[in-house]
Amino acid sequence: MKPKIAFFDFTGCEGCQLEVLNFETELVDLLNLVDIVNFREAMTERSDDYDIAFIDGAISTESDIARIKAIRDQAKILVTIGSCSSLGGVNCLKNFYPMKEVLKIVYGKDAKYYNTIPARPVSAVVPVDYSLPQCPVNRFEFINLTKALLLGKKPERPNYPVCVECKLAENGCVFDKGGTCLGPVTRAGCGAICITNGRHCWGCRGLVDEPNINSEKEILKEHGLTVEDMLKKFRIYDGWLEVSK
Amino acid sequence: MQNKIISKQDLVSFVNNLIKEKAAEEIVGVKASDGKYAFGELANASELCLDYDVTLLPPKKYFLPQKETVLKFKLGAKPSVEPVADAKSIIIIGVHPYDIKAIELCDAVYTSTNPDPNYLLKRNKATIIGVDCLNPNPKAFCPSLGTAIVESGFDLMLTDIGDSYVVAVGTGNGDKLLNKYAKTKAATDSELAQRDNQRRQALGKYKVSLNMPSSEVPGLLEASWDSPVFKEKSETCLSCGSCVMVCPTCVCFDVQDDIALTLDKGERYRQWDACMLVDFAKVATGENFRDDKEKRFRHRMYRKGMYLITRYEKPGCVGCGRCALACLAQIASPAETFNLLKEAS
Ligand code: SF4
Ligand code: SF4
Ligand code: SF4
Ligand code: SF4
Ligand code: SF4
Repeated sequence: MKPKIAFFDFTGCEGCQLEVLNFETELVDLLNLVDIVNFREAMTERSDDYDIAFIDGAISTESDIARIKAIRDQAKILVTIGSCSSLGGVNCLKNFYPMKEVLKIVYGKDAKYYNTIPARPVSAVVPVDYSLPQCPVNRFEFINLTKALLLGKKPERPNYPVCVECKLAENGCVFDKGGTCLGPVTRAGCGAICITNGRHCWGCRGLVDEPNINSEKEILKEHGLTVEDMLKKFRIYDGWLEVSK
Repeated sequence: MQNKIISKQDLVSFVNNLIKEKAAEEIVGVKASDGKYAFGELANASELCLDYDVTLLPPKKYFLPQKETVLKFKLGAKPSVEPVADAKSIIIIGVHPYDIKAIELCDAVYTSTNPDPNYLLKRNKATIIGVDCLNPNPKAFCPSLGTAIVESGFDLMLTDIGDSYVVAVGTGNGDKLLNKYAKTKAATDSELAQRDNQRRQALGKYKVSLNMPSSEVPGLLEASWDSPVFKEKSETCLSCGSCVMVCPTCVCFDVQDDIALTLDKGERYRQWDACMLVDFAKVATGENFRDDKEKRFRHRMYRKGMYLITRYEKPGCVGCGRCALACLAQIASPAETFNLLKEAS
């Protein structure tokens, strides 16, 4: 029997689900291997019977907590896709303000009808089997992980920084052009796309296993960043982590 | 060796002839790229920069591409495997002497024990047109290693002497190319003297040097295994791999399988991998033989200063300075570490 997979979205921009739908050619092959039983962006039918749950979006309300726990109970394998569900991501920017103030900024006088809690990655609430941070999720990585799960192989993710792929792409270094970059501590796997396209790395894939944060901070300082600037830089995607505090 | 003279004007025509007449399937040379220089396909001789300091990646990428499919396979009832190796004829224009030395080392590595068909196929279809490096980058230290000037390893070697280039003819293939596509004349003694003068002046422009003869480096390293220098220097190492990705004498790769979504076929590819990366020496059971940055840093220094020389009798570092230019922590230059070890010894 084909494994059943389901997609669930929490707090995020839904870019991740759209990215998965963007597959076109691969989607047909994928549907030969699995049954998609729950995908709000793509279908109206719903089922609560599934093997693999793919989660995008961060946990940021009390009801999110109850919902993700129920999904965890049901799923054999739980995978977070995208930076929001895997790292907390941009949602965690609000954690640096009092929650009351956040509600007021967003909902104004209707604030009293809403609740919010500091945003967090799924792994802060329930155990996660695999994480695929990137904003939005890297669809090749999503496909590779799905293949590995179907084949019973251990899914591989690079444990080296973006600099490796940046050099393979033969880019000039952002630091040499007067900019700053989180590539040296951020996990590769995106092909250094942002740098290749003329920007810098924001760190959307999270940190490598053994990041040398002190050294990265020293380098950022040498290139003109204040402690405040540095924290702002890390907080874009790594707000949940110690490095941003 | 035969030496000829080609005017700068005629060099432009020569390169344009190579391109127009398709003297090889690919004509590549040094071009401005992303604020630096890089080897890339030439559409016109005007793109060629022969007075560059150093390229981002070495020309090794034409023989050992960053990522390369090495075989295709089919799974299922009748599994099959088909090796993949292809190569285009290529003319590489503007290779500096240190990169020629590095190619000689790669040749030795890829032919000595188990000749690598993918590498050799590409390598054997390559023509190398070198150019003397008259504007070394601030981190280069080629003269200390004897890699600033080469007498072989090229088909043609150019030296800028003002209005023209001296062309040293290294091979019959180089000679043929000149005869067919270029206007040259024989070099006079005074033009050759000018070349010597240009080379001598360039030697004076290097900012980094070894504080010992390079022949002493292997012995120095051998005696320095427990030196605190490795720990001190590697404290700020990001394990980012920049130093090893840009190095012309790094030869390592990782091999991975990519299975199609139909799960019935796939490809095996190899991609550059290197010893400064955390997982490089990790084995299937989970142990990591070089589990901290000090060990990885020391290993790289031993590779560059001892292991390769002992095994292949060729410099394991050619002093191009790329690693030092790329290292954000400013710790990657082998010259600097060797000098520190010497001072401490
Ligand atoms: S990770 Fe990025 S694309 Fe995905 S939901 Fe979050 S913000 Fe949107
Ligand atoms: S641009 Fe960023 S990712 Fe690329 S080498 Fe420089 S620091 Fe590393
Ligand atoms: S370069 Fe950095 S910010 Fe851009 S996709 Fe890769 S990890 Fe994310
Ligand atoms: S170790 Fe550094 S200086 Fe030596 S060849 Fe490699 S990149 Fe060039
Ligand atoms: S020595 Fe420098 S370039 Fe090499 S891995 Fe360490 S920090 Fe990166």
